[in-house]
Amino acid sequence: MKSKSKSIFGRSGRFTAAALLAAAAVAGCDAINPTQVNNPTTTDADLAEATNPTEALLPGLRAQFARMINAYVVATEVISDNYSVHGTGLNQTMDEPGTVTPDIFNGTGTSASGVYWNVQELRALADFVIDEIAPNDAEAPPALVAEAHYYRGMAYLTMGEVFSHVPHEEDGAPQPADVALTKAVSDLQAGAGFGPQANAALARAHRLLGDAGAAASAANAVLGATPNFIFAPPYDEQFLTNTSVAFLVLRALQEMQPLPRLDFLDPKYTERDSPIPIAKAEEMHLILAEAALASGNMTEAQSQLASAITLAGSRGVVSFDDIDERRNADLSLRPRSKEIMIRADADSPYRAGLVLDRPSDDLQIPNISGTSLSADSVSSLGSADELWHALWLARQEILFLEGRRMADLGIKLPIMLREIDQNDNINEGDPGTVPIIPGYIPASPQYAMDIYSPLDLYDGVDPGSPLVKSEVTVHVDMNKVLVANNASPF
Amino acid sequence: MQLSRLASSAALGLLALLALTAAAATPALAQTGVVQGQVVDAASMRPLSNVQVLVEGTGIGLLTNSSGRYVLLNVPAGEHTVQATLIGYDPASQTVTVAPGQTATADIQMSSTAISLNEIVVTGVGAETERRALGTSVEVLSAEDFALAPVQSVDQLLQGRVAGATVNATSAQPGTGSLINFRGVSSVFGAQTPVIYVDGVRVDNDQSTAAGTGGEQSSALSDLLTSDIERIEVTKGGAASTLFGSDAATGVIQIFTRKGTPGAPRITARVEQGIEMPELKYIFDMGLIFPERVESGEITDRFMRDLYFKNGRAQNYYVGVSGGTADVTYSVSGRLEDLGGTQPRDASTNYSVRGGLQASLTENFTLQFSGSYVRHNFERLYNGSAISDPLTTFEVGDALFFSGASTLHEALDIFLMPQIDEGVNRFIFSAGTRWNIRDDLTFRMTVGTDNRNNQQRTYQPIGFTPGEPTGNLRRWDRNFTSVSLDGGATYAWESTDGVIGSSTTVGVQGFREDESVIFGNGRTFALPGTFDFDAAAVITAGEGNVEVFNGGAYVDEQVSLWDKLYVGAGFRVDAGSSFGDNIEYEFYPKVTGAYILSDDVDLPFVDELKIRTAYGQTGKFPGAFLKDRTFSATSFRGESAPRFSNPGNADLRPEKTSTIEGGIDAALWNNRIGLDLTAYEARTTDALFDVPRQPVTGQGIQQENVGEILNRGVELALNLQVLNTQSLAWSVGATFNYNHNEVTDMGGVPDFSAEGSQKRVTGCWYEEVEGDEDTCRGGPVGAWWLTMPVDTNGDGLPDGSERNFTGSFPVPDKSGSANTTISIGNDLTVSALADWAGGHYVFDYGSVWATFNGIYRRELVRCGMEEGAAEGCAYAFPVQYNADGTERGKYSQNRARSGFLYDGDYFKLREVSLRYVLPEDWAGRLGAARATAYLNGRNLWIWSKNQMIDGELNGLSGGGLRLGGESSITLSPNRTYRFGVEVVF
Repeated sequence: MKSKSKSIFGRSGRFTAAALLAAAAVAGCDAINPTQVNNPTTTDADLAEATNPTEALLPGLRAQFARMINAYVVATEVISDNYSVHGTGLNQTMDEPGTVTPDIFNGTGTSASGVYWNVQELRALADFVIDEIAPNDAEAPPALVAEAHYYRGMAYLTMGEVFSHVPHEEDGAPQPADVALTKAVSDLQAGAGFGPQANAALARAHRLLGDAGAAASAANAVLGATPNFIFAPPYDEQFLTNTSVAFLVLRALQEMQPLPRLDFLDPKYTERDSPIPIAKAEEMHLILAEAALASGNMTEAQSQLASAITLAGSRGVVSFDDIDERRNADLSLRPRSKEIMIRADADSPYRAGLVLDRPSDDLQIPNISGTSLSADSVSSLGSADELWHALWLARQEILFLEGRRMADLGIKLPIMLREIDQNDNINEGDPGTVPIIPGYIPASPQYAMDIYSPLDLYDGVDPGSPLVKSEVTVHVDMNKVLVANNASPF
Repeated sequence: MQLSRLASSAALGLLALLALTAAAATPALAQTGVVQGQVVDAASMRPLSNVQVLVEGTGIGLLTNSSGRYVLLNVPAGEHTVQATLIGYDPASQTVTVAPGQTATADIQMSSTAISLNEIVVTGVGAETERRALGTSVEVLSAEDFALAPVQSVDQLLQGRVAGATVNATSAQPGTGSLINFRGVSSVFGAQTPVIYVDGVRVDNDQSTAAGTGGEQSSALSDLLTSDIERIEVTKGGAASTLFGSDAATGVIQIFTRKGTPGAPRITARVEQGIEMPELKYIFDMGLIFPERVESGEITDRFMRDLYFKNGRAQNYYVGVSGGTADVTYSVSGRLEDLGGTQPRDASTNYSVRGGLQASLTENFTLQFSGSYVRHNFERLYNGSAISDPLTTFEVGDALFFSGASTLHEALDIFLMPQIDEGVNRFIFSAGTRWNIRDDLTFRMTVGTDNRNNQQRTYQPIGFTPGEPTGNLRRWDRNFTSVSLDGGATYAWESTDGVIGSSTTVGVQGFREDESVIFGNGRTFALPGTFDFDAAAVITAGEGNVEVFNGGAYVDEQVSLWDKLYVGAGFRVDAGSSFGDNIEYEFYPKVTGAYILSDDVDLPFVDELKIRTAYGQTGKFPGAFLKDRTFSATSFRGESAPRFSNPGNADLRPEKTSTIEGGIDAALWNNRIGLDLTAYEARTTDALFDVPRQPVTGQGIQQENVGEILNRGVELALNLQVLNTQSLAWSVGATFNYNHNEVTDMGGVPDFSAEGSQKRVTGCWYEEVEGDEDTCRGGPVGAWWLTMPVDTNGDGLPDGSERNFTGSFPVPDKSGSANTTISIGNDLTVSALADWAGGHYVFDYGSVWATFNGIYRRELVRCGMEEGAAEGCAYAFPVQYNADGTERGKYSQNRARSGFLYDGDYFKLREVSLRYVLPEDWAGRLGAARATAYLNGRNLWIWSKNQMIDGELNGLSGGGLRLGGESSITLSPNRTYRFGVEVVF
């Protein structure tokens, strides 16, 4: 064996071979450097190489705006009396607003739990574009900067609409809603170049601030430019879908089930990319009607309310193959037959036409605006309270699934738990860390705003079970409660 | 698929090459004689089988038969030393003189050892070292320990066999892997799975290698097969793992495969046939769930038992050849295992070939190669939280709702429509060399690669309602490649009087890992039968890529004094691609000491006693690119839409676990009792916590080195030889492991969730002085944090709900095993293995789900199904009161989750084996040297404290931490019986 060894690896040969191998290894290191890794996502260094960074980042703001709308529409609609939760995909605690705690809104996705997160991310991303990127980007188009201001304005507007107090900067103390709304006004004014939607948002911001004059002025500016104005950018069918469609249509549980008297408006969004109206002329008419009512101008209020109803009626409907069997979590059947008559509470009259036959392969559903009110019925209303009731009902129906209802009820959500945990200037119990529930929101019985009777409308739970009771009474008419408690910000 | 073909070809080529090598290596006849003899136990004179007998310097050797006898042919004439080695015995030898054409006899007596201080280990010490010199605890499993064990993969093999390890299966589904944990949870990110090396190659141990199907995850452990493993070395962190640097805080498992032993070609063939039976202890069937349909006669109360579950056939075929000369040895084998499964669509098939070769090119220069190819095809079912999961959906009462069917028979047909198929191709190759440059200087190097690619296809055909009525095809391709290199030189020196010895090793070790995942989804098909994306109306795709390098240099010094006192010291300097830009390298030191006390002090009943202690650091490197601030982008309305992604941390570094341990290895009472006891304290500093940025920044979570985690515990292994006579030998063994896990410093970070919202990392699990937060004790990682009823107004009645710590956790803090082996005569062996775990609590998600359908599973099981029984049974749903003391109704599940947390203690009779060596003349009729028949059973019996879910399982693994303890309706590992015959030619 030794002789064999010598023939292959003689002493000098060994060293030569080892030297050659070592040299080859050193030379080859560059070519096969095992330490070299490549981060497949954009780093700071990569961003610095971007030639038009403002233009590159604007689609990100558009997408984040869509995420924010997604999250707050689902959260606020469920918390309000518009929808109740039936299934596993949404937290049923939201049906009892008084029990809502910050950990419920600790998500970062586009579902209900992500409402706080997405508002702040939109604001922070807009800050980044407006304050850091655009000033150093000579090519930044003014129109895009205006658009960025619009999104930041909408973030502040949403903060003021949904939360009582919110921090606006790292380690900042929570600022009251009015401060957020004031910042929203400033940004929306800077975003005027983006289009009438900036004015429409201004009208909403001024309304929430209680400034009827400024709100009416902005609303009139919108209507003056575009009488049937609507701003409703679509979602993305594949990559960033309308979240509420999942809970309304796609998921087997169809967790979001409407208050029975709003059945005729559901599901409103039927496709993955269905747009959510961000702003529309109907809301401007309703703001003008509210301002008029607040100032005692009944005629103007009636006129604006009728205009809103008429415009809503002109928006049209879509045909939809609806497989929703209208089930509660225990699989019992909810109202789903057009024969059913509904009254808003035990003291109200029964009304027909509020419930549609389901399932149905040709459901006619309003996808922008719908209402059970008629312009004629409004003109016959004699008292201010009747008009206030019609106004609140019109806002509930026409602005259905757009995120307005929870604010109309006066409910404010708590800050995300993560923010409370991470910010030394926010402690449990501070303003903004607990929900704000007006005293007029009924706390009992459980799920008071969502319940109705009787529950055994059908003889059985099978799809073909016949209707045996056709009169339904909703437990409470929250519009009546809003009237009684002068809930208008004006 | 090209790669798989390439791998197949390579494996077959390797097989052919090695077969040729075997033929060429057959020794030529010369002036030779025969050596024969018998090897027996010195104490009982009982013949010992499977003893490796080798004529020193000739390469001629074989294993003894059931009578302890051996016959070695063609032994060159002259004087020889015959060596005998067997695990559990001191090596023995006998000198014999062989005359040409004559037969010489060399009978050998071997003395059993309760502890194997002379055993050689290599893990964690840089060079081959006798166990007596180790200051750390290193577990060694030899082939004898698991021969013919009825297991499919390495993780199953470790179950109950390693002291200090908790190994929990996740489910019965094929392709899943067990949760392996050594010495507690030392980190809050990533799985606790130890690093695994096969013949020096760091292999894929990822526990989530395909798209989720509802909770149960595909695991790379499931295709680490058990064929031809020669030895497994296990280090559980600390000084034993220091030389692995930033990669070994969770421990290291080193697997060494067979390279053959000198001797004529020896062919081993094994055929196993068996049956798999579903474990139905936690399945309640439709009498509980749909009693009205049972009453109406639509179904029986055995609906699932009769129509869903089944007994599956298990087949396992193995053929291997090994042998060689003094210069070249080889071992080649192939295996086919086919399991029919116990549910519809959960069959699996494993094909594997492997080969090992060791060649001494010169007296001082040795090469080693090993390679294996595995192809693992299996079906899966949706499971856990998926609404398409047939088992869960039926057991929680949603079968009709989610299927849209009107009968349960129709519903079952619908739920069995989806097809989830996964195929794995895995090729592991290792090449090593050892060069004894001088008598005192040795160089060794190993390079190798693990390439694992898997493809999962999930097809929901047209008409399958719960997902997409128009059809949906999801594909997930993952390609993993690791390249490892380990090289070093050892200089050994001994004083002329033998008093002082020294071994110095300097080496480098590192790996690179590349993982690429491509996934796609095709939605809406016009026609049935389409399995390609091309035909889908909507196609989406994405990908993910990870690249990691980690490497370092180490120095290890071992000094021996009088061959009974050993001191070791070493360190590793480490660098990695995942370290932040401000971190250039990491330093990991270690110090060890061992003393053979029994060499100096005579203690009663003590044969050998070793005392050992060690201190060492190990690390765990951060996530691949988490040091960088990044922006991610998604497609939105045809544009690329960027947003903030990782916040970035230039100071990111590995978390470090410093372990101090001490223990004893003792052989007592004439080597009848073996004791291995270790106590340890491991403190992880700079623990990597996912620290959330304030949401107001728009930034998400950033890994930061802020925390501290303490693990403290004891590990005990005990073996007792109860009887050792010529006709009967009986041994029993037990292991015990206790671990205390505590987050000792949160680093200023508030409590945060770990692996789902119900498990939490907290610095204040409880206050030692009530009301004084300064006396807070941290919780174990992942302490249960659930909603529970509370009394908010002090009237003594629960009226509200809060999330609180329940005082329990999902990871067992105690585990152990018991085993026994009885050998009757020379031919019959009966053995049994059981394992248990306890101290943990498990969450019953299935019963939570069932409440949505008004089914109170827990109440029904506990209180019975009589009318009204469940109503008055308030286990999970106590009555909630209003503030005025009036009843409000039962608590809903999401406000009283703590009611679904159960004691997870379990005990499982894991394996029972009966092995019989057939009479030699029977084997002779087959032309075989030896034939063994055996009957094995696995997962035979379960005892558990709770009746609802299996305390072992982890059917709802959420994030990467994989603590376990959360299951939906998850099937326990199948009960398996196998009959096999092994024939050696």
